[in-house]
Amino acid sequence: MSAIVTLPVLLPLLAAGLCMLFGRSRRAQRAVALTALTASTAAAMASLIAVDRDGTVVVDAGGWGAPIGIVLVADRLATIMLAIATITLLLVLVYAIGQPGAERHHVGFQSAYMILAAGVALSFLTGDLFTMFVAFEMMLTASYVLMTLGGTQDQVRSGMTYVVISLVASVLFIAALALLYTATGTVNLADLSERIPTLAPGLQSAFALLLLVVFGIKAAVFPLFFWLPDSYPTAPSPVTAIFAGLLTKVGVYALIRTQLLLFPDAARPATVMLWIAGLTMVVGVLGAVAQNDLKRILSFHIVSQIGYMVMGLALFTVAGVAAAVYFIVHQVVVKTGLFLTGGLVEHVGGSSRLSRVGGLMGTAPMLAVLFLVPALSLAGFPPMSGFIGKFALFDAGVGSAEFWVVSAGVVAAFLTLFSMTKIWAGAFWNPKEREPQATPHDPGRWGGPLLMVVPTATFAVLTVAIGLWSGPIYELMTRTAEGLLDPSVYRSEVLDR
Amino acid sequence: MSVLLAGAAAALFAIGTYLVLQRKLSRIIIGIGLLTHGGNLLLLTAGRRGLPALIGEGDPSELSDPVPQALTLTAIVITFGVTALLLALAYRSWLLSRDDEVEHDLSDLDILLGRGSHEDDADLLERLEQLDDAEPPASGTDPT
Amino acid sequence: MGFVLIVHAVVGTGLLLRARTGRAATLVALLAPVTALVWWAANLGTVLDGGVVTEVHRWVPTLDLAVDLRFDGFAALMVLIVSGIGVAVFAYSWSYFDAAAPLGRVMGLLTLFSGAMLGVVLADNLILLYGFWELTSVTSFLLIGDRYRDAAARSAALQAILVTGAGGVAMLFGFVILGVEAGTYRLSTILADPPAGAAVTAALLLIAVGAFTKSAQYPFHSWLPAAMVAPTPISTYLHSATMVKAGVYLVARLAPAFAVVATGWRPLVVVVGLVSMVAGALRALRQHDLKLLLAYGTISQLGFMMVLFGVGLEATSLAGCAVILGHALFKATLFMVVGIVDHGTGTRDVRHLPALGREWRTTRAVAVVAAASMAGVPLTFGFIAKELGFQGMLDASMTGNGVVLGVLVFGSALTAAYAARFVAGLYGAYRVATPTGAPAAADPTSPAAPRLHAPSRSFLAPAAVLSVLTLVFGVAPALLDGLVGEAASSLAGVVVDAHLALWHGITTALGLSAIAVLGGALLFLWRSRVDRLLAVGSRLPSGNDGYHASVAGLLGGADRVTGVVQNGSMPVYLGVILVTAMVLPGTALLLDAPWDGWPQLVDSWVQVALVAVLLSVALGAAIVRHRLSAALLLGVAGYAMAGLFVVQGAPDLALTQAAVETLSTVLFVLALRRLPSRFERRSTPVTRTLRLAVSAVVGITVFGFALAASSDVQPRHVADEIVERALPDGHGRNVVNVILVDFRGLDTLGEISVVAVAAIGAVALARAGRRPRGEPRPSTAGPGGTPRHAFVEVVVRALVYITVTVSLYLLVAGHNDPGGGFVGGLVAGAAVALRYIAGGLDDVRRMVRTRPWSILGAGLLLATLTATVPLLFGHPVLENGSWDLALPLLGDVTITSALLFDTGVYLVVVGLVFMVFEAFGGEATRESDQTEPPEQPDELVEREEREEART
Repeated sequence: MSAIVTLPVLLPLLAAGLCMLFGRSRRAQRAVALTALTASTAAAMASLIAVDRDGTVVVDAGGWGAPIGIVLVADRLATIMLAIATITLLLVLVYAIGQPGAERHHVGFQSAYMILAAGVALSFLTGDLFTMFVAFEMMLTASYVLMTLGGTQDQVRSGMTYVVISLVASVLFIAALALLYTATGTVNLADLSERIPTLAPGLQSAFALLLLVVFGIKAAVFPLFFWLPDSYPTAPSPVTAIFAGLLTKVGVYALIRTQLLLFPDAARPATVMLWIAGLTMVVGVLGAVAQNDLKRILSFHIVSQIGYMVMGLALFTVAGVAAAVYFIVHQVVVKTGLFLTGGLVEHVGGSSRLSRVGGLMGTAPMLAVLFLVPALSLAGFPPMSGFIGKFALFDAGVGSAEFWVVSAGVVAAFLTLFSMTKIWAGAFWNPKEREPQATPHDPGRWGGPLLMVVPTATFAVLTVAIGLWSGPIYELMTRTAEGLLDPSVYRSEVLDR
Repeated sequence: MSVLLAGAAAALFAIGTYLVLQRKLSRIIIGIGLLTHGGNLLLLTAGRRGLPALIGEGDPSELSDPVPQALTLTAIVITFGVTALLLALAYRSWLLSRDDEVEHDLSDLDILLGRGSHEDDADLLERLEQLDDAEPPASGTDPT
Repeated sequence: MGFVLIVHAVVGTGLLLRARTGRAATLVALLAPVTALVWWAANLGTVLDGGVVTEVHRWVPTLDLAVDLRFDGFAALMVLIVSGIGVAVFAYSWSYFDAAAPLGRVMGLLTLFSGAMLGVVLADNLILLYGFWELTSVTSFLLIGDRYRDAAARSAALQAILVTGAGGVAMLFGFVILGVEAGTYRLSTILADPPAGAAVTAALLLIAVGAFTKSAQYPFHSWLPAAMVAPTPISTYLHSATMVKAGVYLVARLAPAFAVVATGWRPLVVVVGLVSMVAGALRALRQHDLKLLLAYGTISQLGFMMVLFGVGLEATSLAGCAVILGHALFKATLFMVVGIVDHGTGTRDVRHLPALGREWRTTRAVAVVAAASMAGVPLTFGFIAKELGFQGMLDASMTGNGVVLGVLVFGSALTAAYAARFVAGLYGAYRVATPTGAPAAADPTSPAAPRLHAPSRSFLAPAAVLSVLTLVFGVAPALLDGLVGEAASSLAGVVVDAHLALWHGITTALGLSAIAVLGGALLFLWRSRVDRLLAVGSRLPSGNDGYHASVAGLLGGADRVTGVVQNGSMPVYLGVILVTAMVLPGTALLLDAPWDGWPQLVDSWVQVALVAVLLSVALGAAIVRHRLSAALLLGVAGYAMAGLFVVQGAPDLALTQAAVETLSTVLFVLALRRLPSRFERRSTPVTRTLRLAVSAVVGITVFGFALAASSDVQPRHVADEIVERALPDGHGRNVVNVILVDFRGLDTLGEISVVAVAAIGAVALARAGRRPRGEPRPSTAGPGGTPRHAFVEVVVRALVYITVTVSLYLLVAGHNDPGGGFVGGLVAGAAVALRYIAGGLDDVRRMVRTRPWSILGAGLLLATLTATVPLLFGHPVLENGSWDLALPLLGDVTITSALLFDTGVYLVVVGLVFMVFEAFGGEATRESDQTEPPEQPDELVEREEREEART
């Protein structure tokens, strides 16, 4: 098992190396990349099942035990994230290959994409805070490259903002690591969670807050999210889709991991996080309401929905954390699906600006379905996953008598519906008001090239399936949350073997 | 760590911040360089100082703490790679606009200056007047 | 039950997929409600015997969310209405819609809606109920907007979903609170043993909001008249007979349990109901469009039901059940008639309605019966129901029931009046002579005047059947005793025996009914005066104003908020981030800072000197306005850092730092040489002060945090164990290097992948818009442009060979002495730099035959493989192996896999250096570059391939 767990990290790296060697042949690059991701997906699935059945798998990289060596810890949370992430990466890669755009035009695309995949996988698996920093850097650097591949003016401008802010975040991360090592002499998560509680209380909560900010920037919470809506929409749509689906969620994952594992109850900044959650939900969705461009609306929704996850976490109850994890999975599926649909709209309509596309209901009804399903899921309609997720969060919030943050969630939920109907009316019902900049393509029978439509449709199917099969899935989430809320389990699994 | 080094790191952070908060990318890059120096200094001084960590150089207790050194080394390399990328961005931005200024995000400006036109929300804003005075709306049948 | 719902889902989806199906769609759609009715008939017996049919399917047990269906008396009544009217409407649609028009989408959505509506009335789990509730909203949205090319349809659809959606989320909030307070989401359990308390009251108020929006009660009513743009079958089914009753249904369910428990709830519901009843009726009295008249009538009638159910007593609930049925019967009929008239004459406006000749006799009769029932004229079921209502209120043991009763009677009078207006309208009482004489044409909104034609039998049949039922139940109401009685009982939780009868003798209720009808008649006769009065009322702000004001407000507010936070300026973003990052932990430290005195001030005086240099050059870099000198100062700062590292006892680090600094300074110069040499000063004093303030905050916090963190330092258990095991288990004396390639090899693997991808990105960016290599260049000279000289050539070659050898030595020795793959690679890089300085990019390219891409790839591949191979032998990833080989000349040598790994690192770094020169090395730009647009990415690929061809 321990070998299989590491594959989602190693295979993409090997693939990246090969892709650089095969720089000249696009076909070879694609074959390598697809194989690597398919295999990693299989591996991730296998490890999820195995871990849920037989418990956490811990891998000593280099054969040194924790804390002197680096350990990869595949517990339920990590493998859940790994599974959903690998599937998403695979589907989006197919879409990218199908789309006349970024992937075809740049020899670097596959290599960068593979390193992104490896980085994402590593940040979920690692049981070492510094390795998490490295994994973040892999992921981010690859994302810088993917975002600016076109080298157009827009991309360069937003690329600058994105890169600079991420770099500053990285410096803060380094500082946090330095200070943690100064105080505890270790960077291994399990080891840290043993030592941090022995520090002075003031220091503990200071560390908790510092990490909250460091990962809050990546997760794009209020007031640290402003970079996201400016930078994401400019990238090619498959790239934006993968960013929207995964990158911010990695930040949330890091938040969940560190806040729950490293800090005792007293040090957890629950109140601050609840405030952050509420503001993120509302301010984010208000941003969406103010926009008139499909991609920008969706980008603001990323932010708003992150608020829900933080809210679940900030309750620090089994119900809350379970809901948060479920919500992450739901969001990865729905957001990626929506952005892929957005890409199709752009392809078919020639623009992502609501006033420039329109009447798609008549011209591309298939597209209308592909949008409606994830959109309704996002707005929390049954039987899609969004319905369960929203309800679970409200239930958890009311359960802990946090009525104010729940009301914020309720408002955000309504505004989400508002802007979804706005997109629907704008892109699918309204007649076109102005001509698009780019030339529209013929949607054909399926609403676009099959290689683009099939992955998009898969996400639509996934959100319905997750909703319908929420019974077992949610039980898994509850088991996960119970494990997370008792750090001693993690510690003993990693240290005492 | 000594007060001096802590102070040095803090000062590097402060100066770096001052530079990062500007609009010229090349200044920002320099600022980030200083910030990372500060971060690396913090990281390195997180460990005990002493003889070079070569086994046999002296009694293990006199050796400097090797772990932060390894971490810092990794950090240095990573930031180097990313800085190269950032420079490429500045270079590209100059090729495109003869400048390395980090411009405002235009769509944001539109909304800030109230130019975020809600042309697409016509349906939301349009009033069905006939509902207030008793004029009938469009006939309900499909034209046959 | 589940089966019935599934049939609806399947039929509905099927029709949606076959959107182009014509009329046949209506027949297919009929399948669903017919199935439902059959099932209803089969299970009615159980219910009439006071039993219930339940069915539970697990969904999400953890969240107490189950598909939990319950078929009791009230459910039976509602199912009858939903599916019965469903059959009528679907049958009506056959003739209503244009035979040629594709109907798959409309009928599919109608079927799905009717399934969702059944779900609402059958669900016994609050959350499930909410789910179906929202599904009815969506289907209604899509149906209203189905003819989306019409702007009115679009905005009506949006208004409908936004208003009901807002109510929906409020209701969900209420449901969750209620469920949490009760400890279960099962409706029947909650009603059996209702919780109490402030939270519960809040929950019920929230739920009430949901109910009001759905049932179009004031002040949320205005979406319903707007929705009348939809084709008549949709208005008939969703917006009069069924969906709008969902709110009433919910109130009916909750009232008996909570009307008293939740203080303030009953008054709220009753008042809103009364207001809606009166205001709706008044509005109806002013309409010329028959459909709008009916729409406002519906609002008014729903208000009536709200009152009856909201009181929550057995008698009133019983009456409510009768009214809900009676209303479904007559209102559906009237809507269908309006549709027929519209169809036949091309207008619904009583002022333009042409005279309807004899062939319209039946149609008129049908309409009159229904209208009479609406007015509450004896011998129609409407009369029975209304009288039950008055009777119930008379007996109601509720304070102020007298007042309520009074308003109800007044409302009923108004109802009778607009019923009369409707009939009079049909008979042409309001017709205005039009100059053209072609009435239909006078109505601008009507389709090009179709010829006047009376409805076919099949078109009228559904309406006719319903009004016959109205009469039958009006004459023999006892037929319904069982159903209505059971419905009331299932609500009240106690057995309510119903005796619906036409004649109870001379009772107060009878008197009230008489007053209502006669009052209506008077209001109708004095309509001219009444109209003048009403005209005054019409100047009051309507719910429509409220809706549009709030939408506009929302959009404006969103703009304002977003404009402030999302202002598009990176410095601001960074400032906010940095301040947050400092203030949050800073406050925590200030609140209780661990402080045990200052640590050691200074380690050594060399440090002081170095720090002095470091900070002064840093300051310089911040102040100078000359780009390159700023870059150079940064370089000096880097060397100072290296110095500090040496003092700290970290030679490898110092080496790396120095090498990196050299290279990045070169990079700076290459990349920025063409940018304007000076930064112009543009920032205002204000911004500068702000910047200074932020920097101060950052500096102080970092300083404080650093001291606090080092205040109680714990034993370095990790470091000590690593130092201990480095040589015996790590096979290396240089602990740092052993950590890099072994203990923390994974980090290094990640690190080189970062470097590799950064290199790719840099080349991709810098290369875009550069002339492909291979074309003749102005000069092959380096940036200095100095002509090449044989002597220089020789020296350079020699130097290059030396540096490469040194770099290889560093690579191999690294494991035991300062050095290692990374430093080695960088030194090799220095050789490349030398070549560049001497001969420019072409020389660099001539150094190696392979593309820099391949070097990067090979390095990454080698490192990853060394990490992966152990897996194949069942060892953990990255585990180290070592082989002893006897080599000629060198003798026995131990090769550790760590060395291979380090070689990978070495290669990646070398690759990086090559890539970097590829990126920035070329003669940076020519004028053409600024003019020519960024070259098509396609060319990028082609260029790659051309290069391949050349080598």
